[in-house]
Formats: sequence, structure tokens, C-alpha cells
Amino acid sequence: MNIKRKQLKIEDVLFNTFNAAFMLVLAIVTLYPFINTIAVSFNDGLDTIRGGIYLWPRIFSLQNYKAVFFSGTVYNAFFVSIARTVLSTVLNLFLTTMLSYTLSRKEYVLRKPITIICVLTMYFNAGLIPNYFLIKGLGLLNNFWVYVIPTLISAFNMVVIRTYICSIPESLIESARIDGAGDFRIFLKVIFPLCKPCLATIALFVAVGSWNAWFDTFIYCSSKQELSTLQYELMKLLSSTSNANANPAMAAGVGANSQASSSLVTPLSIRAAITIVAAMPIIVVYPFLQKYFIVGLNVGSVKE
Amino acid sequence: MANNISALNNNKSPSAQVQLQASLKTSKWSLLKNQKQLVFMSVPLLIYILLFSYAPIWGWLMAFQNYKPAKSFFNQKWVGLQQFEYLFKDEAFIRDFVNTLCMSVINLVLSFVTAIILALLLNEIKNMFFKRTIQTISYLPHFLSWIIVCGIVSTCLSTEGGIVNEVLMALGIIDSPVLWLSEGKYFWGIVGAANVWKELGWNTIIYIAAIASIDPAQYEAAEMDGAGRFRKMWNVTLPGIKSTIIILLIMNIGRVMDAGFEIQYILGNGLVSDWSETIDIYVLKYGIKQFNYSLATAAGIIRSVISIVLLFAANFVAKKLGEERLI
Amino acid sequence: MLGKKRLVSLCLALAMMGSVMAGCGGASESKDSGTAPTTTADSKDAALDPIEISFFISDPGQAPTADNKIYKLIKEKLGVTCKFEFLVGDKDQKIGVMVAGGDYPDVVFVDTFTNPKFTGAGALIPLEDLIAKNAPNLQKHYEPYKNKVKDSNDGHFYVMPDYGVYYNDYQTNIWQGAAFWIQKAVLADAGYPQVKTLDQYFDLIEKYQAKYPEIDGQKTIGFEVLSDGWRDFCLKNPPEHLIGHPNDGQVVVDPDTNVAEFFWDKDYAKTYYKKLNDMYNKGLIDPETFTMNYDQYMAKLSSGRVLGTFDQFWNFSNADLTLKQQNKIERTWAPCAITLDESIQPYYQDRNVLNVNTGFAITTSCENPERVIKFFDTLVTEEWQRILGWGIEGEDYSVDSNGEFVRTPEQRKNYDDQSWRLQNMAYTLWYYAPKMEGSFADGNACTPGFQPKEFYASLSDYDKNFLKQYGYETWTQFLNEAPENRISYPAWGIDLVDGSAASMANTKIGEVGTKFLPKAILSKPADFDKVWDEYVTELHKCDIQAYLDRMNDQLKWRAENWK
Repeated sequence: MNIKRKQLKIEDVLFNTFNAAFMLVLAIVTLYPFINTIAVSFNDGLDTIRGGIYLWPRIFSLQNYKAVFFSGTVYNAFFVSIARTVLSTVLNLFLTTMLSYTLSRKEYVLRKPITIICVLTMYFNAGLIPNYFLIKGLGLLNNFWVYVIPTLISAFNMVVIRTYICSIPESLIESARIDGAGDFRIFLKVIFPLCKPCLATIALFVAVGSWNAWFDTFIYCSSKQELSTLQYELMKLLSSTSNANANPAMAAGVGANSQASSSLVTPLSIRAAITIVAAMPIIVVYPFLQKYFIVGLNVGSVKE
Repeated sequence: MANNISALNNNKSPSAQVQLQASLKTSKWSLLKNQKQLVFMSVPLLIYILLFSYAPIWGWLMAFQNYKPAKSFFNQKWVGLQQFEYLFKDEAFIRDFVNTLCMSVINLVLSFVTAIILALLLNEIKNMFFKRTIQTISYLPHFLSWIIVCGIVSTCLSTEGGIVNEVLMALGIIDSPVLWLSEGKYFWGIVGAANVWKELGWNTIIYIAAIASIDPAQYEAAEMDGAGRFRKMWNVTLPGIKSTIIILLIMNIGRVMDAGFEIQYILGNGLVSDWSETIDIYVLKYGIKQFNYSLATAAGIIRSVISIVLLFAANFVAKKLGEERLI
Repeated sequence: MLGKKRLVSLCLALAMMGSVMAGCGGASESKDSGTAPTTTADSKDAALDPIEISFFISDPGQAPTADNKIYKLIKEKLGVTCKFEFLVGDKDQKIGVMVAGGDYPDVVFVDTFTNPKFTGAGALIPLEDLIAKNAPNLQKHYEPYKNKVKDSNDGHFYVMPDYGVYYNDYQTNIWQGAAFWIQKAVLADAGYPQVKTLDQYFDLIEKYQAKYPEIDGQKTIGFEVLSDGWRDFCLKNPPEHLIGHPNDGQVVVDPDTNVAEFFWDKDYAKTYYKKLNDMYNKGLIDPETFTMNYDQYMAKLSSGRVLGTFDQFWNFSNADLTLKQQNKIERTWAPCAITLDESIQPYYQDRNVLNVNTGFAITTSCENPERVIKFFDTLVTEEWQRILGWGIEGEDYSVDSNGEFVRTPEQRKNYDDQSWRLQNMAYTLWYYAPKMEGSFADGNACTPGFQPKEFYASLSDYDKNFLKQYGYETWTQFLNEAPENRISYPAWGIDLVDGSAASMANTKIGEVGTKFLPKAILSKPADFDKVWDEYVTELHKCDIQAYLDRMNDQLKWRAENWK
């Protein structure tokens, strides 16, 4: 018996060692592109063109970040982005979970048709122009709510939440029902709190989606500067830098100097800087969501 | 109506059985009346979905026109199935169709298998700090744009000191550096690997959340039965996340017409164009860039139809196998 | 691939600007006498009622800062506030919804390819009467071109060309366009020879590479061929130049008959690619050349070990700057105007042509077109051109005892700083609006880049000596003298009509080239003919005739209307 235990332990040690080693390799492989991007973002723009920057900047420079933060529009855009992300996430989570709950109720008469209608939305898109007319018809052009309203329900998230709800023991719902709770109360008081690990991941998906979106600003809000989002401002900076670099008039302007200017920004370096600026808020918020789904929440033991 | 009843018939929970019997006696309306709260919670959202996702579908009519954005919708020229004919007669479209299908199947398999394995392995780490750190790091590449990732990929594959060639040469697998990006036969593999690299950590999140919800009592019970680590993985963890896996699989099977386009666009070149071009690239070149919205819409319709057929097929198979279903 | 083609064309259009200088701004509280009295009157009238003009620029860019000194001055003196929106995502998508929804700003910047989309939708208003009544300066500005500015469909004047109108004398110094570029060290090593033919060009490179197999510890690369995305003109355009034609895209046009010929499948094209094939098999051409993207191409050029490339200067000017930053001036490149044999007169350098169909247009949504046209009319006067081009006297430049405009190194450096420009220049307005080019009545160039003194001040000692060895004063002297522009030039500017057979064929043709030309160059010498035949067969499967018909149709229209 004892011997057997010991063998098992050796196996365990071996497994844990290999597992840890594998994880370290994985960490290196996935961390590298990020470190590389940070290094490039702090490197002199012209020098970056030469390539060969790996973990550390070769000619340290803050010019890329200076270019990002130079135009004051970034600050306002930052707040618009926060507002849209928070609103979208809260509303989307609440409404999608509510829909998921109703569609998880097997006795619900409209369950199947609504499920099909909802699921199919994942697989078609009416196209840019009809969508534009819809948004225009609803008076959402150049309107902050265009960032929130069209994305209130997401079919994919609905399915994921529904699957999770189905794994919650039916007995919890039954006992609430016996206590006289209606469906809305059950949803609010029983289901919603129990879905935390799942909702944390969905919140992450929704928030990242909303935070990274720029196409809606591009199509629906581009002529109203005060509604511009951070991603859109960053895209604007990147595309204008690329254009300026392919622009002979600019090139000639620069070419008039024999010594290459240190303040010239290039698409490669700007791209790196805006990636870091855009990703930072998410990376900062991430651990707070992560704790809900990585630590493990014991569904079974919550109530019983 | 028939659907609703069959849905009810499939129900296995005892409480529903009781309701089912009741429902057979009462009419659908009185049943709905009993489910007032559910109706109030879902029907407004249904209307919302119909408005935002289904109402704009009139746009699909463009596929049967020669749509010019300059004119109003009703003054367009109707051309019947001409756009569809053009697509099916175009060798390039057929080629891109096949490429899209192959690349997304490769991506689907690779990303599923790797994400599940990573989730299982992460679950075996007992040190919480280590686990959280690794998990956080692994999803970081998700925030890099394809253009940055592709830049790193091509540097790694370079024949002048690229790490892939250096390692393979050091291991004696190849004698001289290989120009990976010049040969079509490697292209799908490169795309698959790059996809895994970028999205692995992100794809894993959902499984980690599913694993987190497994009742620890189940592990304790398995341990009492003398189950080892792998047995526990096989008998507890995997069944615990099976429903999530199957649901995601069904949903993603419906998405095989969507192989993305950025990575192929950026890494592709003339030498591999027979392997690298996807439907998205085709639509961009011959649809959007040509102001040819009708052609783009036609391609979109073809894609949607195939997706929906595949979705129902996958759902049907899952049903036959007695597995979790999407619909 | 039309998208690419469009971008190419756009960039070519930009390239045509040659060494026109990035205008700076600078407000002039200064007097600036010598302007026509009518204009001053105009600007005073205008100042009476403040107006905001909204612009959509279908190019990426950044709006000036709120405290920009030139726009402040414009507001003060002319009562005009400019509100710019720049393109961020895909141009076709943005214009698609704009046209479909009918929501336009007051003024749009259009180019050859977006113009038909707006005119087709009836979104633009004809300008001929408006200008005749309200804008004497613009009327004078475009008078010599009154036929060329007409729309090819209905004969109206919709778009005010943004450049190509020259005043007085001018001199170009830096060649921004296409050439076979060769590293200066190669020429210096060979004793500064004249390079006239393709064979001479590759001989020089071959000898130098054999002599110096490594540069700075890395393998020497003889020649690069960029083929990434829309920048594939580096792969596809050389044959037309080698037989003495200007850049007309995918055709060469016979100057006598004004008829376009598709050249990709011709023998002279084969000669060029066969030469590249030989060079590849001799090890001159980088094996990675067709798989690398633009960034990798730039990295290789910036390493200083690439001896030659065919490209347009603006496309790799950053690599040139990087080498200068590393103080490797001898590793930068000089242009060569080479042909297949010496009997052919090269045609690389061109004369600036009026940039028809590209510029500002006023939309039907504009409530006060008179006011807007008066604004542009004021801007095209010498007084304002000086402010837009040079800035404020005393702040951004000064006038020396000879009356010549000069800048200090400090002032020159400011130009390179993107942030500084957003605060102190009205670059957008200078660049896209109708403008004067050449020189002012007092002999000063309209922008600093044209000012000869400014150019010499920018040259390094190495370059000064290099030019002296050839007995030249400017880089443009390495090329041919620019001949009188043909009516067909530039043929790439012809609108193929989106979604038409001609346009679809054009995309197909591009794809065949992208696929087969690299294959042919990388083939074994014995296989070259086989791959070439396969390429020609594939090309002929495309509807080349539809494409040519459209080209020739439009060339004929030009011949009839552009006299």
C-alpha cells in the first residue's frame, strides 16, 4: 500500500514538473510578442524600420507615446470608450442572462422558436447599407446610444449562459418556486448570483468587444468628434501616420533635412504604442474578473 | 405548434413532465398565460432581435440587383440570379471557397483541441498564483492585431536567422533554410499555428470557467474510488465541461465559412495565392472594392445558407447521439 | 486587383507632386502687400458673417489642434472655421454609406476613383457659373485648363484640381517617382559611370556583389523586387520604362496614334523577367523577395546591404532616412533611367500634369456655396499661399537682404515634427485646396522644398561630392529631361467604372501577374519559357479586350476634349 502511494507520488512529481515546464514555455511563447511590442513602442521610430528589435528598445524614445497623447482628443475619447464599455457590459449581461434563463426553461412554450431566431442571427449579416439605413431610421446616427443599443443581446453569449444555467441543479429553482417566487424573481435572486463564473467570462467578452470596437464609430459617428472612441482615435493616428509616410510631399519635407529627424514617427512604432495604450485598461481590469472564473465557485455547495 | 409539443416531449425533468401532462389538456394560450413572466422577460427581447437582426434582411434583395449606392433601392436594375451565376462560374471563387473551408476546419480542430488541453493542464496546477499568472499571460496575444502577429511570424520563418529554420537546422531536420512562406503546402499549417498562438489563451477562458463550476465533491468521490490524476480528468473534468464543448462545437461548425481574412491577406503572396485566398478576400476584391455590393451580398447569402445547413446538421447529429443540443 | 490599383494610383498621383514641399503654415499678422485689392475686399466681406465649413477628406489624416495658429488667423481674417473629417477605415465602405444615405458635408475631397461615385449620385454641384460669378482668382487659376477640368460624362466642372497649376519658374531637386535605384557606393566603386541599360545596371551590381559579398557583416543583396499587396508596381511596371514609356499603369500608349497596348505579355516584358530569372539563378536576387512584406523590405533596405531595387522613391524614403540616421550615406541610392538598349530614349521623369478629377468639390448639402467658393478664391491668392506654404514671416522663415526666403535649421526641423505641424501649419488646407506651385512674383518658390538654397542646405558632404563627380546639381539630373506631356499621360488615371467588365478584368489581370511573375523569376533557367507560356495563357483567359476598349475609349475622349 505504502509502496503504491509512493509510486503515485513519483508520477505526480513527474507530471507536475512537466506541466510546469510546459506552462513556462507557453508563457514565454505568448509573452514574447507582447514584450516585443512594448520594446518597439519605446524605440525610435526611424530606427525601428531596421528591424531586429526583440526584448529591449535599441534607441529609447518616448516620441510614439508623445504622438498618441499629443492630440487632446484622446482623453475625451477615452471617457467615451469607458462609458460605452460599462453601459454595454452591464445591459448586455443583464438582458442576455434574462433571455438565457427563459430559454433554459424547458416548459416554456416559445422556447424553441425564440432560440432558433436568436441563434440564427450569428450566421447572417444583412450588410452594411441596410444596417446603416436602420440606424439612420432609428435616429441613432451621431448618437451615443448607437454604441450600446445595437449590441444589447448576443446570441453566442446567450447560448453559453444558457448552457451554464442548465447545469444548475433544478432543485434550487424548484425550492424557490415552492417559496412562491415567480420566474423573474428566480432569475434575479437565484440564477443571476449563481452564474458568476460564467458571467465573469461573458463580461470579459462583451467588454473587450465593446472596448475594441471602432467600426461603429467609423460608420455611424465619425462626423461628431465628441463621440469619438479611443480605438477610433488610435486608428486615425495610425492611418494618418501610414499615409504621411507614403506621402511624397511629406517625405520631401522631411528630405529637406540631411540629418533624419528624431521626431519622425513611423507606422511600425505607432502601431506598437497604440496597441499597448489600447490593451492596458483591459489588462488592468482583467484580474478582477479572472478571480471569479479561475478560483472556482462551487455551485452545488452554495445552497445545499 | 408541433415543434413546441415535441420540445416538451423531449423534456426529462420531472417538474416539466407534470406541466407537460397539464399542457396536453389545456390550450397553448392558457399555457402561455401561466408563463406570463417568461413571456414578459423574453418577448420584448425577441422583438429587439427581429428589429436589429432581421429587419435589415431586405438588403439581401440586392443580390438580385445590380445595386449602385447612388440610386434609391427601388430604382435599381434587377438582374435575377446573375450575381450567383458569376460566382459559381468563377474559378477563383470556387478555389477561395475550398480554401476557406479547409483552413477553417484546420483552425477549428486545432483551436478546440489545444484550448481544451490547456484548460485541463491549467486545472492541474495547484499553486494559485502560478496558475493565474500563466493564464493571464497566455491570453495577451489576443490583444495584438494580426498585422503585429504576422510581422513576428514572418520574422520567425525568415531564411536569414529566423528561429524556426535555426532550430530545425540545429536538430538536423533540414539541411538548409526553408522558405516557408513561398510554398502553398505549408500555408494552411502556418495559418493554423499562428491562430493557435494568438487565440489559445483566449479560447481557454470559457473552458476554465466551465471547469470552475464542477462540484469538488465529484473529485473527492473519484479519489475515494482510487482514481488517479488522468482518471479524474477523464471521468470528472471532461464530462463536467462536455456540454460546453459540444455547444461550442456546434456553434463553430456553423462558422466554417468564416476563415477570417486578415492573416491570409497579410501573410499571403503571389506564390501561395492558390492556397491563401479566402472568400473574404474575394469579396473584398471583387465586391467592396468594386462598389459591387450585389456581388458581395450574393457571396454573403451563399455563406449564410451553408452555415445554417451545417448548423442544423451538427445539431441533428448531436441530438441523435443523445448529446447536448444547441436548439 | 482594383483596390490595390487604386491605392497605387493614388500614391502615384501623390508621387507626381515630385519635390513639392510640404507646405508649412504660419499666420501672417504681417502686412504682405502686393496682393490684388479685390481679394482684400473679399476677405473683409467674408469676415462679416462667421461660417463653419465641414470637410470630408477621403484620405487618412489628423485634424489640426484647436489652437492651431494658421486656422486661428483664417478665422480672424476670413471668418471661416474649418471642420475636418478624415478617412479612417476603408474608403469604399465609408463613401458607400455616405452616398447611399445622401448625408454629405459641405465640401468633399475626391480623387479619380471616388469622383464618379459622387457625381454618379448627383452629390456635387457644378462650379463653372459659381466661379465665374464669385471667384475671379480661381477663374484665372484654371483658365488655361478649362477643358481639362470638365467631367467626362456631362461636361460640367465639379472638382477643383488640387495641384498641377504652375506659376513662373521652378526647379525640382529630388526625384520622388519611379526609377531603377542603385546604391551610391556601387557607382563610386566603379568610378562614377553613366548607367544607361539594363545589362549595364546588373553588371555593376554583379561585380560589386562579387567584390563585397558582405556588407557590415551581413550578406550583400543584389536586387530586391517588392510584390507586397498594392505595392506590386515594383514587380509589374519596369517593362514599360525599359522601352522608353512613362508610367501609364498596365499599358503603353503609342504617342502618334494615341492607342493603348497591354504590355504584360509582350516580348520586351519577357526580356526583362528573363533577365531577372538569370539574375536570380546567379544569386543576385534575394530569395525572400517575394515572400517578404513591406516592413521586411524596408528593414532590408535600411540595413544598407541592398544594392538595387526598382521602386518609387516615396515608397522607400524612410529607409533612405534611416540610413542617413545611421550615417551610412554611401548606402543610399541614386536613380538610374535605364532602358533595354541605348537606342531607346528613357522616360522616367515626367512633367507635372494637372491632377484632373482630384481635389475639393462642393456638395448639394452645402447651404452657402458662394461663401465656400469665395473662401477658396481668397486662399489661392499670393498673400494666403505664402502663409500656407511658408508660414509667418519672422516665425517660420525670414527674408534675407536679397529678398530671398530662408529658414534656420531650427525652423527646418520643426517641419519634421508631426505634432508641431498640427499646431502651426494649415497643411490640410494647403495640400488639398487649389494652390499655386512654382514661384511667386518675387522669385521665391511657393514652398520651401522648391527653394534651391533650401535644397543645398540639406545635402551632406558625401552627397555634395557625389553630385560633383557627375557634374550635377540635383538628383533629377540623373534622369531624362522631362518631355512635353502626352495627352494620354497618365493613362492610369482613367476611370474603369466600378464593377464593369473592364474593371473586373483589370483585377483578374493583376492577380495573374502577382501569381505567375514571381514563379517565372524563381524558376530554373530551363523552365522559364514553360512558366512564361503558362502565364501568357492565363493572362489571355482574362477579358483584356474589355479593359483595353475602355482605356482607348477614354483616350479618344481626351483627344477630342482636351485641346
